[in-house]
Amino acid sequence: MSELLEVEDLTVTFRTTRGPVDVVKGVSFTVAGDETVGIVGESGSGKSMTSLAIMGLLPKGARTAGSIRLNGAELLGRPDRELRRLRGDQLSMIFQDPLSSLNPYYTVGLQIEEMYRAHRGGTRKAARQVAIAALGQVGLPEPERRVDHYPHQFSGGQRQRVMIAMALVCEPALLIADEPTTALDVTVQAQILRLLADLRRQSGTGMVFITHDLAVISSIATRVLVMRRGEQVEYGTAEQVFAEPRHDYTRMLLESIPRIDDEVEEMTA
Amino acid sequence: MTLLRAENLTKRFVSRGPLGARAEFTAVDRVSFDVRLGETLAVVGESGSGKSTTARMIAKLMDPTEGRLEFEGEDVTTAKGAALARFRSGVQVVFQDPFSSLNPRHTVERILMAPLLYQGIAPKGGRRAHAKELMERVGLNPDHSLRYPAQFSGGQAQRIGIARALAVNPKLVICDEAVSALDVSVQAQVIELLRRLQHESGFSYVFIAHDLAVVRQIAQRVAVMSKGRIVELGPTGQVFGDPQEEYTRTLLAAIPRINPEWDRRRRENS
Repeated sequence: MSELLEVEDLTVTFRTTRGPVDVVKGVSFTVAGDETVGIVGESGSGKSMTSLAIMGLLPKGARTAGSIRLNGAELLGRPDRELRRLRGDQLSMIFQDPLSSLNPYYTVGLQIEEMYRAHRGGTRKAARQVAIAALGQVGLPEPERRVDHYPHQFSGGQRQRVMIAMALVCEPALLIADEPTTALDVTVQAQILRLLADLRRQSGTGMVFITHDLAVISSIATRVLVMRRGEQVEYGTAEQVFAEPRHDYTRMLLESIPRIDDEVEEMTA
Repeated sequence: MTLLRAENLTKRFVSRGPLGARAEFTAVDRVSFDVRLGETLAVVGESGSGKSTTARMIAKLMDPTEGRLEFEGEDVTTAKGAALARFRSGVQVVFQDPFSSLNPRHTVERILMAPLLYQGIAPKGGRRAHAKELMERVGLNPDHSLRYPAQFSGGQAQRIGIARALAVNPKLVICDEAVSALDVSVQAQVIELLRRLQHESGFSYVFIAHDLAVVRQIAQRVAVMSKGRIVELGPTGQVFGDPQEEYTRTLLAAIPRINPEWDRRRRENS
């Protein structure tokens, strides 16, 4: 099986007082074991709902149809208990705001250790060594000391590194990154993007990278899915989507982005 | 002609720890610049650079610890009462989040009439008609003047925020991350609107932003801030095309770019 993840005709429906609303409408894409697929769209496009569907983390009351297969095994309709076992182990996710996904009352070391032991078992002592190694791998200086620090003792960029360490500690087959650099300063964003690309290459983890930022996607993804109002507008290699967009919406998005290197027409003051 | 002059503006914050330990933090450190009539000056920087504190001081939403602020040649550093009201009729602010800066219980009409009531201005044709005119100027349907902010999209709500800033016919509009929260297609429209409004009325902008590509579209001059200080200030083309400071170069290099080869092919095809 060359494809790690296969999403086929995925539909996500919410029941509302005004009747059912499809927030994802028939989306299909695949992720190979060693590539990054970017999902790009504006707010309300359904890109985050697609990632939550893959993780089995949709809000209660959401209905799904279609198919999501990881290494050929269907994920949709699996009981919660089995999905919990997969999450953190086979499937991991990082979010925009690491502070709200880390527990403020526990040291980051303890949180990484718990994640590791929940899936791999072993002694606390062994797990602590794994946590230190994981923190070192994401480029945190002095991991032996930092492992005993609490989330608030880290900067925004460092916290995202901690989240990445936690997400990758069980060497998952697939990492879903949902706007992981959106809240970061541009210089920190550049570091995190480089780190994610390096780690993905070293570990052979497949990645789904969700963002509203086309320039970020251009720098990290091999294939790109463009979404709008729950629908799949365009899907192709990054080169095709950026160089030869087939859809007007993609073209409009690409033309809307302000570019730093462009000559700007003179303005009359 | 110089409209606003900031001279050595400094803001220090003092915090007290649990044991009464006094810690001082300098958010803005001796910042000086001029804003000329009709120009757009951008202030850019990363989080903690002091750009928002600077914006708040020149908008007189916060007093500087040290330094001096002049507007139209008049010292307004400690302006109170009538002098402050006069300042506010000349300087207006557009904030990042339109929904938290617009009263959710007031209709658009009431929101747009409020600055006129505060300033005691009675426009010809009445305040209601003026509110509708403002809506038209920013591309909103004036028939929606009795709707509430929640009934508008994010981009439309930001247009209401812009219309409110223009209600008193200001000479300077301070945009504090005014387009940062908007989707890219909406952002492009709002930038275009800001440029058109300036072209029509000839006022100045101080445009506070973290996104340098956006700044490039709108500003004639740029001040780059880092750790509370202005590290570089000059014409936009020069600062972005030939940056003199290491920090500016690092900032510019970090901006993600669409593969230029792909971009070129797309433009040739379209």
